[in-house]
Amino acid sequence: MLPTERLDFSAIAHRPKLTLPDGARLAVWVIVNVEEWDPAQPMPRTVLTPPAGGAPMPDIPNWAWHEYGNRVGFWRMLEVIDEHGVRAVLAVNGSAIGRYEPIARAALERGWEFIGHGFTQKNMQNVADERDDIRKTTAAICDFAGKNPRGWLGPGLTETWETPDLLVDEGYEYVCDWVLDDEPVLLKTRTKPIVSIPYTQECNDVAMMLIQHHKAGEYYDRAIDQFEQLYRDAARSTRIMALVVHPYIMGAPHRLKYFRAALAHIRAYRDVLFWTGEEILDWFKGREA
Amino acid sequence: MIPRDRCAYSAIVDRPPLFLPNRARIVVWTIVNLEFWDISRPMARQVLPAPTGQVLLPDVPNWAWHEYGMRVGVWRFFELFARLAIRPTLSINARVCEEYERVARAAREAGWEFMGHAWEQMPIHKVEDQFAMINQSLGVLERFAGRRPVGWLGPGLTETEDTPDLLAAAGVKYIGDWVYDDEPTEIRTAHGPLITLPYTVELNDIPMMLVQHHESAYFTQRCIDSFERLYTEGAERAKIMAIAIHPYISGQPHRIKYLETIYEHVNRYAGVLHWNGAEILDWFMAARGNR
Repeated sequence: MLPTERLDFSAIAHRPKLTLPDGARLAVWVIVNVEEWDPAQPMPRTVLTPPAGGAPMPDIPNWAWHEYGNRVGFWRMLEVIDEHGVRAVLAVNGSAIGRYEPIARAALERGWEFIGHGFTQKNMQNVADERDDIRKTTAAICDFAGKNPRGWLGPGLTETWETPDLLVDEGYEYVCDWVLDDEPVLLKTRTKPIVSIPYTQECNDVAMMLIQHHKAGEYYDRAIDQFEQLYRDAARSTRIMALVVHPYIMGAPHRLKYFRAALAHIRAYRDVLFWTGEEILDWFKGREA
Repeated sequence: MIPRDRCAYSAIVDRPPLFLPNRARIVVWTIVNLEFWDISRPMARQVLPAPTGQVLLPDVPNWAWHEYGMRVGVWRFFELFARLAIRPTLSINARVCEEYERVARAAREAGWEFMGHAWEQMPIHKVEDQFAMINQSLGVLERFAGRRPVGWLGPGLTETEDTPDLLAAAGVKYIGDWVYDDEPTEIRTAHGPLITLPYTVELNDIPMMLVQHHESAYFTQRCIDSFERLYTEGAERAKIMAIAIHPYISGQPHRIKYLETIYEHVNRYAGVLHWNGAEILDWFMAARGNR
């Protein structure tokens, strides 16, 4: 189905007002992405190109650079998230749950929400059997966390034409790949609709640090600028703000403090909720009822 | 062997801490990289692609830009590290001992550690007989420096699946290619264990200046931000912070002061050791027995 068949254009200024409980103005959700990079494949991202270019395989230095995030970076990031009493969302490759069991356990112990993020870090267009990939991911999460994931983020936000249809078939209730609004919206599928919750490519360390090559401090500056504008916008109707981090990027020693400062700034507002994706989902669905 | 067959995943929080002597918190490991760029091939890095982006040979402007580091830039490093009494690790293409003997001699005279860094600067995947190249490189460095290197860094950190096996067979004790931890680790090879030391692609002027195109001053900022975080963590367990520099990048007149500022900053703290790779290896082999 084409995107335009899944939803009609709608201007945010012309929609009914959305309100959060207890007079809260804005809901922020924090998504931590944990991935497994297959050393037999080209690396999904690179920090260092080989001398004179090209892409010789295997790519050990970039594999190791990502692996640092799971061995070391995640654990300092966890300290910051704990410090601010935030329940985050773990967007996790199905295969990463077994491979990095201590990470999954730390998330489970803290009551974080688990959402599907593909079975491996491979674009959905290149996955041989998409339904099987989604099912294996669901099963890996369910076996570990004791319940099915309700949300899905494609690896690199990638989808095929039928991803939302398959997600609904497999029991998913929300998807994060459609960064087209500040409010949740409904997407049509072959069966019942799926909710699109505002994820972000803007306050996202992959885009900012690895593609745009900003200084680490830009994560903080941009998060605050984004927050202040959304907070202002939300005077009329609630907005959702996402903050996305990867352990191998913001978990580097030189970047962590900018993530901490961004959380601390936003946490100081009493009328801002830190919610998980499923809390946003339940609120949005309740509003419809 | 794929990396998983060499070493299982381990979360740093699940390991007993390592401690440095005299309650030091952090080791700063400085690595100076010296390379040989063959003018008959495409240059390892480019500051200026040719108009319309074509790769044309010979690439004289980029060859000359790198050559500046050997003629001029590296002497700024020698001056700085002599003043600070720091003896860095020299990651050196063995061919440099022949082509730039004057530079290699200055490093030897200053007591720097020689670390193997292949014969010349090209991805190791393209070397026809890797084992012969490794032995040739280590042999040249051994004859030049009077001691066989114990460390190795692949060109651009590149490895094939069997590189660690070949390195262990050639007598190498540690490698810098696995930038996956803050601590040294042990990996399996077909010829016994090999130690990985935490080299860096974060505090490294190639990714920062040539790939990410940061401003010169950001090198200081990023190194200090890293240092302060690792120094704090160093109260609980030993931390190692590598700084990787190249004379044609950080040896430029406009960048050298940002390198100098890093050392001025970290040397204000107590409990900071400046060690080379061989010293880190020796400490690790003893310290891990105690944890």
